[in-house]
Amino acid sequence: MARYAMVTDLRKCVACKACTVACSAEWDVPTGQARTHVRATPLAGEFPDLMSSPYVAQCNHCDHPPCVEPCPSGATFQGDDGIVRVDGDVCIGCGFCVDACPYEARYISPRTKKVDKCDFCRPRIERGEEPACVATCTAHAKYFGDLEDRNGEVHRLVFHVGARRLETAAVAVGPNVYYLGRPEQLDLVLASFPPRPPQLLTAGEAWKKLARPLVIGVVGATFLGQAVAFFTQLHKGEGDFDE
Amino acid sequence: MTSEITRRRFLGTTATLGAATVVAPAAASQKVHPPGWRGTERVDKVPTTCEMCFWRCGVVASVAGGKVVRVAGHPEHPQNQGRLCARGNAGTGLLYDPDRLKTPLLRTGERGEGRFKRVSWDEALDFLAGKLVKLRQEHGPESVALFPHGNGPRFFATLMQAYGTPNSAEPSFAQCRGPREVGYSLTFGRGLGSPEPVDLEEARLIVLIGSHLGENVFTSQITAFATGLAHGAKLIAVDPRFSTAAAKADWWLPIRPGTDIALLLAWMNVLIGEGLYDREYVETYAKGFEQLQEHVKEFTPEWAAPITDLTAAKIRETARAMGAAKPAVALHPGRHVTWYGDDTQRARAMAILTALLGSWGRRGGIFLPTPIPKGSFDLPEFPEPKRGRADGAGTRFPLAPEELGVTNGLIDATVSGNPYPIKAWIVYGQNVLESIPQRSRTLEAIGKLDLMVVVDVLPVEQINYADLVLPEATYLERYDPPNIVESAKRPFIAVRSPVCEPLYESKPGWWIARELAKRLDLMAYFPWETPEQHLETILAPTGINGNELRNCGVVAFPGKPYLDDRAPQDRSFDTASGKIELFSQDLADLGADPMPRYTPHAEPPAGFLRLIYGRAPVHSFARSQNNKILNALMPENEVWLHTSVAREFGVAEGQRVILENSDGVRSNPILVKVTEGIRRDCAYVVHGFGHRSRALRLAFGRGASDNALMSRVSVDPLTGGTGMHVNFVRPVKA
Repeated sequence: MARYAMVTDLRKCVACKACTVACSAEWDVPTGQARTHVRATPLAGEFPDLMSSPYVAQCNHCDHPPCVEPCPSGATFQGDDGIVRVDGDVCIGCGFCVDACPYEARYISPRTKKVDKCDFCRPRIERGEEPACVATCTAHAKYFGDLEDRNGEVHRLVFHVGARRLETAAVAVGPNVYYLGRPEQLDLVLASFPPRPPQLLTAGEAWKKLARPLVIGVVGATFLGQAVAFFTQLHKGEGDFDE
Repeated sequence: MTSEITRRRFLGTTATLGAATVVAPAAASQKVHPPGWRGTERVDKVPTTCEMCFWRCGVVASVAGGKVVRVAGHPEHPQNQGRLCARGNAGTGLLYDPDRLKTPLLRTGERGEGRFKRVSWDEALDFLAGKLVKLRQEHGPESVALFPHGNGPRFFATLMQAYGTPNSAEPSFAQCRGPREVGYSLTFGRGLGSPEPVDLEEARLIVLIGSHLGENVFTSQITAFATGLAHGAKLIAVDPRFSTAAAKADWWLPIRPGTDIALLLAWMNVLIGEGLYDREYVETYAKGFEQLQEHVKEFTPEWAAPITDLTAAKIRETARAMGAAKPAVALHPGRHVTWYGDDTQRARAMAILTALLGSWGRRGGIFLPTPIPKGSFDLPEFPEPKRGRADGAGTRFPLAPEELGVTNGLIDATVSGNPYPIKAWIVYGQNVLESIPQRSRTLEAIGKLDLMVVVDVLPVEQINYADLVLPEATYLERYDPPNIVESAKRPFIAVRSPVCEPLYESKPGWWIARELAKRLDLMAYFPWETPEQHLETILAPTGINGNELRNCGVVAFPGKPYLDDRAPQDRSFDTASGKIELFSQDLADLGADPMPRYTPHAEPPAGFLRLIYGRAPVHSFARSQNNKILNALMPENEVWLHTSVAREFGVAEGQRVILENSDGVRSNPILVKVTEGIRRDCAYVVHGFGHRSRALRLAFGRGASDNALMSRVSVDPLTGGTGMHVNFVRPVKA
């Protein structure tokens, strides 16, 4: 099974925001929202010895996605390919996952009242196309592919060139968007945009303690009902087959 | 991973790319746009050429049910290769801008009031044709001036030539690239054109002088820039501001504004003095080296250091870096270069430096255009105007080319009535109140007109001064003459053809010009009925079928970008001497410096800062601020002030101030950005904001207009270019 990842080369990126607009245009992201954000670090140093870097943020499709567990409805889940997805039919728009995400990659759509975020352009990659942000990147600064493909560019950049994950000792959830840059540049990016630490997961924690049993009760009851119906059907079917 | 679109839909193009003579199959007799995807939706994919800026990238529109749902980069286009900037991706924001001009409008109130009545196209065109006939009778055809810009106005240019006026001027000359084109032409016998043929991707060293690539975004140029850097090119960024490019630079030289020529001369001094220039190249191709050597002897880094506010060591170090990387030094010639009024001489200095490095026509330097065949129309001769140009091109401004003209020269003539009265302006695709400085003078000129006509897509402020407003179709809805680009490594021909029907009552420029020609009895100059026929004629010598081109969008040819690709006899230069002219006899004959010389420019008076301006990657000129997609990304501009300057003026980050210039002109309130990334003697804003037209509902009143603060210019005596970095401002409490 593939394990998809993205690499963004911040030495090449010029922060032109083509990725943001292409993504929004591809997926009808409401004006004022974005699935991928382009930011710049504050300037470090004093005139004229200065440093700054662009930073391109999106869903990191983490190895241990902190957004999955707090989701009360099961709408947020991770596929076998590593892509963290939101099932819009199931999402109730509670926003717990938005609070849980260390990378601020999720938003609640004012249009649908449901959570939306980057899914690595899954429908496009299934058709053999690149994600929209990669396809439009003016600086050719974005790479997408399968980490497990030993001949692939992404594998090379991550395992041989040393593209870095933006994670800290406090928040190490295995993000699968990697960055290339000068070491001091990536340090500046991480210092400027550190992943939000776990104590911000209180919404999820609170939910786990209080609300979850209730929701599980309701969802579980529904599920139980469906299961009973399914097995009844199965049994009947077998009966039909026998006849 | 390659795209399905690439493999399937442009297969025909791929097959023809690279062929010297392209004969496309004639079978495609009707438009066929194979389907593709946008998101999870089935769409038609229709190619055309972008006009969110004027770089002219290839795009593919996704069309569903007649509606354009997405615009993306054309995967097979030789320039942008599928890539597209934020503005290009936001094309639907222009197409579906609810504030667009929808019908022809005839003024009912006073000029400037913005009161109009809607009229039909017939009424509008009859009115205009009637006026033009009357003007020709009463004041002569020369009394009518055209202010065009972009690809579309070629039809209007033809119309105006046929009508009999020589007066036409684009801001792309005197407010932008003009002095650069002239400076390089004087040196190499040709200018650079657009897109600039700078071989950034193959460079070992990139030198930017005020060019802020990354904030100034042209897709293929950014691709080449980033590729060059990724391949290890070093970067020198000369900029008073810590730009995006400066942040990537190996050397950031925060130069004192207005002293670039001193830096360039000192670089030449080191290259020649230390024998680091390309001796063989200079001996083979150039003329005037001994004079240049003598000329730059005194301009040492130590001489330049106090002038430029850089250290002699840095100047020497960067000169040596150039010497080491030659000839693969991409010294970017810049694009908007009208800064101080000696801009032709600065361009000369850059051209001479390029020659010393042996970079012109060499890999990693400046590459050469490759001519491609194009057809023309067999038109009757244009009438010879009885009176010469009124703008001074070729006379008062001896090196301004007549085909581009001098906008400010036309404004001068309109205000003064000299050499003769200008009575009417037809403004197409340019915004005279935002692109030309000295706005009050422009308004004074407009006040003298009997007729002002604006052909535009959006209700920008100038329409309020128009007697007649004609709503043009956007680039996604219209045919324009094909985009023939020779200054590319692979030269190409690309189409701009409609991807959807024009909205409202908007009409394409070709139709408007042709309808006027009918009414003025000038149809002999429009010997075609449809855009398709127009395209076929231009394509005739290439053997390419117009329908096929419209289906695939673009056809590229092999190029010969480097001198080495050409036979020795084809390596001459189109100068008087046939050589690169380090010493310019042409300039000497005009009484100008035959070799560039540094002259000091006025420094900001006490308590003022020099106003400098530039671009943001999500906006184009003053054209895109009302686009809701781009407006959301950047609704207004900020004024950059150095930390210590902000403290002195008592202003803080996020506060709004008014910028007041030394003539007392005041801006809209503008947000303050406090930063270490700018010199203490400058204030920087992004150009294009502070719109005054209420009809632009998103852009109105947001941010400040740099242009409005340009009450002064320093005019280049050679070209008429308006140096605009000569205004001084201070922040005052809003």
